[in-house]
Amino acid sequence: MVDEDPNWRVWMVAAQAGDARAYAALLGAALPWLRRRARSRWPYSNAADIEDMVQETLLALHQNRHLYDPTRPLAPFLFGILKLRGADVRRRRQRHAGHETAIEDVPVTFSGLITNETQESDSDRAVMLAAIAELSERDRMVLELLKVRQLSLREAATQTGMSIVALKVATFRAMQRLKAVMKGSHPDAN
Amino acid sequence: MQTEDLITSLTQNLPPVRRASSPSALLLRWLLITAPVLVLVVWIMGPLPSLTTQITQPRFIRAELLAGVTCLVSAYAAFSAGRPDEPAWKLWLPFIAFGLWLAELGRQCFVLSVQTKGAALVLHTDFMCIPAIALAGLIPALAMVWFLRRRAAFRLTHASLCGAMAAAAAAEVALPLFHAAETMMMVLVWQMGSVVLFTMFAAACGRFILTKPAII
Repeated sequence: MVDEDPNWRVWMVAAQAGDARAYAALLGAALPWLRRRARSRWPYSNAADIEDMVQETLLALHQNRHLYDPTRPLAPFLFGILKLRGADVRRRRQRHAGHETAIEDVPVTFSGLITNETQESDSDRAVMLAAIAELSERDRMVLELLKVRQLSLREAATQTGMSIVALKVATFRAMQRLKAVMKGSHPDAN
Repeated sequence: MQTEDLITSLTQNLPPVRRASSPSALLLRWLLITAPVLVLVVWIMGPLPSLTTQITQPRFIRAELLAGVTCLVSAYAAFSAGRPDEPAWKLWLPFIAFGLWLAELGRQCFVLSVQTKGAALVLHTDFMCIPAIALAGLIPALAMVWFLRRRAAFRLTHASLCGAMAAAAAAEVALPLFHAAETMMMVLVWQMGSVVLFTMFAAACGRFILTKPAII
């Protein structure tokens, strides 16, 4: 660690005492040094990862300023944080890398990335509304109250005058008939 | 966020900080809590009647010394692990001390087994070792957690592993003074096994203990 500026230790001691200007001077001076050390330690990491490691180091330094012992040089302290936080960043990257697929160059006709937010749900909804229309008045009412408007059983019982048990049974049967209609068979088949 | 912007935000409203104590100062404070607790535990449990003759035996003294050295070195390593600029050799020193301690007990076990024609190798169940070590090591372990939660910011798993080894070794220094093992094999399996068990447990959940909101 021969490349440590003698001012670093002075600035760090002042930063521990709350001197923001000395702290800014220290971080500004240490930034290119940290980038250089990170690049030489992890030569195969990309620029974004190196910058993440440097930022994590600066944050950890800020949170642990109290751990620095002024009788010691500052560079090993900074480099120690860089090693530990850099290793954390790399571990995190490797953990996430298994779930990611890097796409370098996407052809203009590639359809895999086209967002299709509503088309499927719209068509499903249309099929279901058509199926509900084929059900009896009573089934439609039960499904309307409990599934579409999502009332509680107690509220639906109050509105219809039916008991909760009767409502449960009616809902179950209405759902069975709805499934049958959506599959294409007649609602009264079962 | 750009790193230059991060630096600007970090340097705004910078409060002064109180410097953390050095690992040796923390070790001294921990010992000031641990030593009286161990003396108290031995006094409450009642020292062995044969203690006066035992403490004159070189093998007893060697085992106690190595347990003590493991305890001190482990505690120092635990307090050092939380600082980023401590060299790696300091952090691995407890394992050397523990290895020497284990080797000495193994040597004693071997020598005694030859002298007693295998009698030293007899192994019974002695579940008392686990609660006895837990009891003797409880306060040292809690003190260690208290110190580490306030000082350690890096290598938390290593810090908790060394801290647990220190507390277990401290308990193991006190244990032979009030709890007699029948054979050397029982010392190796039950007493050292308990030390390893507590150390492994702390290593497994140390990060959780040291980072979750305070319970002590």
